[in-house]
Amino acid sequence: MREFKPLPAQPAPIDEVGVIGWLKNNLFSTPLNSLVSILIIAFLASVLPALIDWLFISANWVGTSEAACKAEGAGDGACWVFVSAWMQQFIYGSYPDGELWRINTSLIALGAVIAAPYLLPNELRNSVGVPLFLVFPFIGAAFLDGRLFGLEYVSTDYWGGFSLNIFLAAASIIIAFPLSFLWALGRRSEMPFIKSVCIVLIEFFRGVPVLALFFMGSVMLPLFFPEGTNVDKLLRVWIVLILFMSGYMAEVFRGGFQAIPQGQYEAADSLGLSYWQKTLLIIFPQVIKISMPNILATFIMLFKNTTFLLIIGIFEILSTTQTALTNSNWLGGHAAEGYIFVALVFWCCCFGMSMISSNIEKKLDTSHRN
Amino acid sequence: MSNEPMPELQPVKSGSFFNNPRNRAAIYQILLLLGLMFFFYTIVSNALANMEARGIKSGFGFLTTTAGFDILMSLVEYDATHTYAKTFLVGLLNTILVSFVGIILATIVGFIVGVSYFSQNWLLKRISIVYVETFRNIPLLLQVFFWYFAVLSALPIVRDSINFGDAVFLNVRGLYYPEVVDEPGSAVVYGSLFLAFVAIFFLRRWAHKRQDETGEQFPVFLTSLGILIGLPLVTLLIMGNPFHLDYPEKGGFNISGGTNVIPELMALALALTVYTGAFIAEAVRAGIQAVPHGQTEAARSIGLREKRIMQLIIVPQAMRVIVPLLNSEYQSLVKNSTLATAIGYPDLFTVFVGTSLNQTGQAIEIVFMTMAVYFAINMMISFCMNRFNESVALVERK
Repeated sequence: MREFKPLPAQPAPIDEVGVIGWLKNNLFSTPLNSLVSILIIAFLASVLPALIDWLFISANWVGTSEAACKAEGAGDGACWVFVSAWMQQFIYGSYPDGELWRINTSLIALGAVIAAPYLLPNELRNSVGVPLFLVFPFIGAAFLDGRLFGLEYVSTDYWGGFSLNIFLAAASIIIAFPLSFLWALGRRSEMPFIKSVCIVLIEFFRGVPVLALFFMGSVMLPLFFPEGTNVDKLLRVWIVLILFMSGYMAEVFRGGFQAIPQGQYEAADSLGLSYWQKTLLIIFPQVIKISMPNILATFIMLFKNTTFLLIIGIFEILSTTQTALTNSNWLGGHAAEGYIFVALVFWCCCFGMSMISSNIEKKLDTSHRN
Repeated sequence: MSNEPMPELQPVKSGSFFNNPRNRAAIYQILLLLGLMFFFYTIVSNALANMEARGIKSGFGFLTTTAGFDILMSLVEYDATHTYAKTFLVGLLNTILVSFVGIILATIVGFIVGVSYFSQNWLLKRISIVYVETFRNIPLLLQVFFWYFAVLSALPIVRDSINFGDAVFLNVRGLYYPEVVDEPGSAVVYGSLFLAFVAIFFLRRWAHKRQDETGEQFPVFLTSLGILIGLPLVTLLIMGNPFHLDYPEKGGFNISGGTNVIPELMALALALTVYTGAFIAEAVRAGIQAVPHGQTEAARSIGLREKRIMQLIIVPQAMRVIVPLLNSEYQSLVKNSTLATAIGYPDLFTVFVGTSLNQTGQAIEIVFMTMAVYFAINMMISFCMNRFNESVALVERK
């Protein structure tokens, strides 16, 4: 009896597996694709080596003054000494040397307040976490100012650098949270007058360039206060940022409200909950959950927009960079180094937040697309 | 089933006046109204007192007085002897110019990058991801500064201009290129161009109708292209080329002739394009991803070619997601164009809220006029995009 003997399996074609297969399928699958790949590779090959050389290999890393980059034998690449020499200014502004611990403490406290809801036991979350969150901006501001705590008084003229960007953005969104929620509720309200007031507020702050709002804060707002009162510039900016942020957040919340099924309201009504019980206990938690990615996106926008404060003379990080670039000891044209550093700082923060946001989105996504 | 009338529902007698929701709503609204009235009364009286104390005039009389300052770039005739109303116009036109250029370029960049995300080419896909994630997460003002102070100011001086075939020059003062100058008879060519658009419009309608009736397809795209290029070309030849080019000429320190784009405009337009382009790319990606894969499979199964699938199945559905997002991106581009003031491009914000406000001190009028303009521009964009959205929206059962 003859036995059936299959031929040994042929190996896969050489151009379908391994590195060659990958290259063929991903870079050179069609003539057009090959052309695009070659163009991109040619472009990268012409740009990347010079860029890497400028950024790292011929760059100057050590030293304290511009002389280190101009000295004989110093590389002709980037002068990172510029960044390291101005580092303290970039982060803390002109805040006095001896008092920097106050900024560091506030930054840590900010982190703690944000982390509190995750760390606190369940029963304390609402009763401690939320009030802590809401009073933090005021305590933090008073702490940095110092007078209320009997510390050395530091005028807001000396606040600056990247820490100011963080504090302003955080303090604004924290206060904007309840305010925008009220506006969003007002916009959904059945009371015609309250509804129209809220619509006007929201559309005004969303429709106007934020720069115009900042000018309003710095030029017009002083006219509205009683004669003789001198409201701190930073405080005025804070107010403007809160209102601006509230306009955008109210729309985010409105989207969240629209995603809540009507049955949730009806179920809450049937349990006999009052309006505020229904809103805060049933609707609000669901709205927050749905809107979280959009809230983060709005916050990223606000955070990036804090650089606009340069134009009205607040010494945030970009403004500090501009000052450093025109400093008479550093006239060697270090614009690229300065901007790359600031860009990197912002990029890390914003990209980190957008990662968190897309993670949340993925976790909530239950659709079966693709 | 009984025909007995339903018992009339009696309104429940509530305990107190305040328990009636209608009364309560009225009270809340009256309280809000009183609060707002008090608020506005306070700020208006404070503002009047402050303005009197500082000697600031009020009203719009300043618009007819002479401005007395020059503007770097103007699309209409302007010099220091013109009025503030004219500076307003100059600024407005400059704002519209940079917004228009920005919107067009950002849309092109955004769509190319957004579609590249779905390319089979691994490198192209990576580059589109890197582009979006880099430029989306860096503040716009920083990008404006980067282009202006780090890139464009590193360009060579006039003497060493980068020369493209003796026609286009790029240097630290900006980009110089030939200007098309009309000669008598050019109106006919413009007229034929307009005629070509009208013809294409009717051709499309006719071809659509014919396909509906007979099922026969007509090569609309190629014919349109032919009309668009051919008709003006023919008139151009008949009229004997009624145009000539005014080439820029390089001197030792200056370039004469031609037209130029100032570096402020270039930097701002570049930054707005790159930044908004990243957001539009993200919108396009989201739009295409929102179309379920089953749509592509279904289209393949009825035998459509890949190109037609994109054109007839994917894009129309993706547009429903993309258009509302585009609307808000365009609006934020217009609002972001106010960053011109940081590098001195003379847009509305720079000349009006910047210089004019400094000179007249009339903060309230000027800031409100400017805000109203941006509001109006955004309303217009919103109106147009909503019209466009209606044309792509899903037609549902009524």
